[in-house]
Amino acid sequence: MSDLDDFKATYFDECSELLNELEEQFAAIEAGERDSDRLNAVFRAIHSIKGGAGAFGFSALVGFAHAYETLLDYVRDGRVELTDDVCALCIRANDIIADHVKAAQSGDVLAADYGMEEKERFDALARGESADDDDETGGEIIEEFDIDFTPVMVNLEAPAEDDAAPAEDAFDTAPLQPESGHWEVIFTPHRALYERANDPLLLFRELAALGQMHTRAVLGEIPPLANFEPFAVYCSWEISIVSPTLTEAAIREVFEFVEGDCDITVTQVGASAAPASAKSAPAAAADAGLDLLALADDEVGVAPAKSAAKSSAKAASAASAQDKFEEAPGLSFSELAETMAPPPKPAAPPRAKPTALAAAAPAADGEEHAGRAVGVQSIRVDLDKVDRVVNMVGELVITQSMLTQQMDETLRARYTELVRGLEVLAQTTRGLQDSVMAIRAQPVKSVFSRMPRLVRELATKTGKKIKLETIGENTEIDKTVIEQLSDPLTHMIRNSADHGIEQPEVRLGRGKSETGTIRLSAEQAGGNILIIVEDDGGGINRERVLQVARDKGVIPPDTNPTDEQIDQLIFAPGFSTAAEVSDLSGRGVGMDVVLSNIKKIGGSVHVRSSTGKGTRMTLRLPLTLAVLDVMLVKVGDSPYVVPLSSIVETIQVSRASFERVPSGGQVLQVRGEYVQVIDLAKRFDMKGQTDPESRFVVLCEAEGSQKVALIVDDIIGQQQVVIKSLEENFERVEGIAGGTILGDGNVALIVDVQGLKTQLIHKNAA
Amino acid sequence: MTTLRVLTVDDSRTILAMLHHTLSNAGFEVLQAEDGQQGLNVLMKESVDVVITDINMPVMDGIEFIRHVRATGNHQSLPILILTTETSQDKRDQGKAAGGTGWIVKPFDPEKLISVIHRVVH
Repeated sequence: MSDLDDFKATYFDECSELLNELEEQFAAIEAGERDSDRLNAVFRAIHSIKGGAGAFGFSALVGFAHAYETLLDYVRDGRVELTDDVCALCIRANDIIADHVKAAQSGDVLAADYGMEEKERFDALARGESADDDDETGGEIIEEFDIDFTPVMVNLEAPAEDDAAPAEDAFDTAPLQPESGHWEVIFTPHRALYERANDPLLLFRELAALGQMHTRAVLGEIPPLANFEPFAVYCSWEISIVSPTLTEAAIREVFEFVEGDCDITVTQVGASAAPASAKSAPAAAADAGLDLLALADDEVGVAPAKSAAKSSAKAASAASAQDKFEEAPGLSFSELAETMAPPPKPAAPPRAKPTALAAAAPAADGEEHAGRAVGVQSIRVDLDKVDRVVNMVGELVITQSMLTQQMDETLRARYTELVRGLEVLAQTTRGLQDSVMAIRAQPVKSVFSRMPRLVRELATKTGKKIKLETIGENTEIDKTVIEQLSDPLTHMIRNSADHGIEQPEVRLGRGKSETGTIRLSAEQAGGNILIIVEDDGGGINRERVLQVARDKGVIPPDTNPTDEQIDQLIFAPGFSTAAEVSDLSGRGVGMDVVLSNIKKIGGSVHVRSSTGKGTRMTLRLPLTLAVLDVMLVKVGDSPYVVPLSSIVETIQVSRASFERVPSGGQVLQVRGEYVQVIDLAKRFDMKGQTDPESRFVVLCEAEGSQKVALIVDDIIGQQQVVIKSLEENFERVEGIAGGTILGDGNVALIVDVQGLKTQLIHKNAA
Repeated sequence: MTTLRVLTVDDSRTILAMLHHTLSNAGFEVLQAEDGQQGLNVLMKESVDVVITDINMPVMDGIEFIRHVRATGNHQSLPILILTTETSQDKRDQGKAAGGTGWIVKPFDPEKLISVIHRVVH
C-alpha cells in the first residue's frame, strides 16, 4: 500500500467518525440544544472533511463541503438563523456529504448535479433569502473554491538545510528584467515583528539567497542607555541586493509574513552600481561580544550561514549598548550585560533535552525520533494483530484448564506450591482474557449512528412521521458482533417503520401522537448485550401472520398457536409476507434472515407485540464471540456444555416435580411455573443414565424469559471454553451451537438452548 | 547537525499523518497534538523549534493556543506557523494578531511546507 493509500484509509476512517459526530450533534440540535458548542463542532467536522478532501483532490466533495461550511459559518455567527428548515437542510446536507465520502472511497462518480439544489439553497441563505426560496441564481460562493491539487506526497526528498529552494521558485516565476539588477531595501521592523517570533536574520538569509547582498544596520535611533528600553526596537537596516533576474515581487515575498509588522521600501537603483563584495560574517560567531559589536561597525555582509546563530535583534541592542558605552563610563561591562538582559528576543528557544519524557519512555525512544506522538491517548492497531492475541489467549485458557484438570487429589496434596501457582495462573489468565476482549470491544454507537438517516428516509418514503430515540449507545460489544449487527438492525428498523408505525391520521384516530417513535436501545445484561428495537405502532397483525403462515405451510392449518408463538412466527424460515411487503422493508426476504444472521454470531431474537400499542424486538448478543463461560455436563457418556449465561438453576431430578401433560410430554413445575422439559439424552439419541434419580435438571432461560428444563446425566463443573464453529469445521447441527476442545483433549458440544426451545415451539405448534 | 523538532497540532488525523510523513521524510522530528490544550501540554515538557497549528480545533482552538504560547515566558520567540484552509484573510489575520509567525495554506505542497519552515527557523 502506498503512503497515499495509507493517508486515504486514515482519512476515510476519520470521515466516518466525523459523520457520526454530525449525526449526534444534529440529534441534539434538533432536540433544541442549539448552543454554539454544537455548531462549532459541526463546523469543525465539515471543515476537517473538506480539508482532507482537498488534499486528495476529491473536488466534488470539496465543492459541496465548502458551500455547506460557508452556510454553517453564517449560522454560527448569527447571520443566518437556525430555523427548523435550515436544520432540516443541514441534516440533508450531512447525508449528501456522507454520499460524497462514500463515492470518493469507492471511486464512484455521483451525478454532476447531485446536491446542487441544496448548494443553491445554501447560497440563497447566505445571501439572506429564506430557506424555501427557489432562487436559481446561486452558485458563486460554491464556484469560487476551485481546488486543483495533485498530491505529491510520495518520494519526497528532504530539501537541503539551507538551500535556496524558495529562491529558485522566485527565479522560475520572475520575468527577466534586463535593466534590473540592483535593488535597495529599507527595512524597519516594528516590535510586533519580534513578538511574533519573526527574526530579521532569517529574512536576510532568505534575501541573501536571491542575490549578492549587502546590509547596513542603521543605529541612529538608539537612545542613551538611561532611556534604553529593553523591549523597544531601535534598529533598522538598509540592504542592497544585486541579481540580474531579481524582481520587486520576489523581494516582497520574502517579507510576506511580516507585512504590517514592519516598514519596508523597495527601490531599484541604476544597474551600473558595482556591488560591494560582501564581507563574510564570522561563521562560527565564537566570541559573541566581539562579533556582535562588529555589527555596529558600519557595514557587515550577512552570510546565509546557519551558524550565525545570534539574532540580529540581539545584535542591535548589543550594538546600541556599545554605542552608549562611552557615554556611561560608570558602568562595567558586566553591569551593562545586566542592563541588556533580557534582550528584545532571544535568538533561539531553549533547547534543553526533554527529561520527563525520556524518563517515561526510555526504551521506546531509541533511534526513532520522528513520529513520536505526545498527548495522543489511543493507538490504532490492525485487527489481525489483536485477533492473534485473542487466539493465543484462547489457547492459553485451554492449556490452563488442562493443567488444572491434571491435578488430581493426590497431586494436590503433595504439591501445594504448584497448586497455588496454578490458581494464580488461572486468575491471571482470566484477567488477560478480559483485557484482550476489552480491546476488541467497541461502543454500539458506530452502528446506531447510521440509523437516524435510515429512519428519515423511511419516514419520507412512507409519508409517516417517525422519531428515533437511541439509548445506551456507549454500550460496548465485540467488534465482530458490531459488524454483523448493521444488517439485522436495519432490517428490524425497516420493519418497524413499514409495518409497525401507522400513518399519521391513523395514529391520531387511535388517540396517539401524530409522530411515531422507534426506540433503539442497548444494554448489558450479564454476559449478554441486549439490543432492543421498540415501536409504538399498531403491533403485529396476528390474524394476518397466522393466515400467511398457514397458507405458506409454515405451520399446519389446524393448529392454534398462542399469541407469543404467532409473533415468533415472523422469524420462521419460509415465512415472508411478500404480499404485503413494500419496497422498503421486505426486499423479498423475511425476518428469518435477521434471525439467521443473529444466530450466526451466537445471539437470539425475541419479539413481543401488543396489539395497538407496539412491538418490541430484543436481540440478545454475546459480549464476546471467542470465549464462553459454560457448565460442563454429561449426556450419556459424552461431555456437553451449556452456556452459563442461560442457566437459571440446577435441580436434582429426584427433587424435581414433573407432571405429565395430555399431549404426552413432560413439564416441570418450578415455583408455580410449568416449564417444558427436554431430555437431552433422548434428544441427541444418546444412551442415558438408567437410574433417573442420579440425573439433573438444568433450568435454562431462553429468549423473553421463557424457561426450558434440560435433563442431563451428570454435572461436572464450570469452566471457560473457546468456541469452535461446527459450521466451519463440519456442518450445522440443530440444537447444537458449536463445539469446543476440553482440557483433556476431548471434544464437547455446546447446547443451543434457544434453538432447542424454538424447535419445541415449532414442534408443539405443529 | 541537530534534528529540528516540529510540533504539529491538528484535530484531523489525516492532516497529522500527512504532516508527519512530509516532515519526517525531510529529516524533522515530529511531535503531535490533537488540539491546543494537548499542544500546550507538549510544550510544557518538550522543547521544539517550530510549531505548526490548525485553527479550527475542539477543546482549545489555534488562536487561543497561540495566545497561550506567547504568554509563556520562554516561548516568545518560538516560531508558530498557522495551518489553515481559509482562503479568506481573516483567520490568518486573527492568527497573526495572536502571535503567529507565518502561515501555511492547506492543502499544502510538501516542498513549499519545508521551505516555509526554513523561512522561520534558524
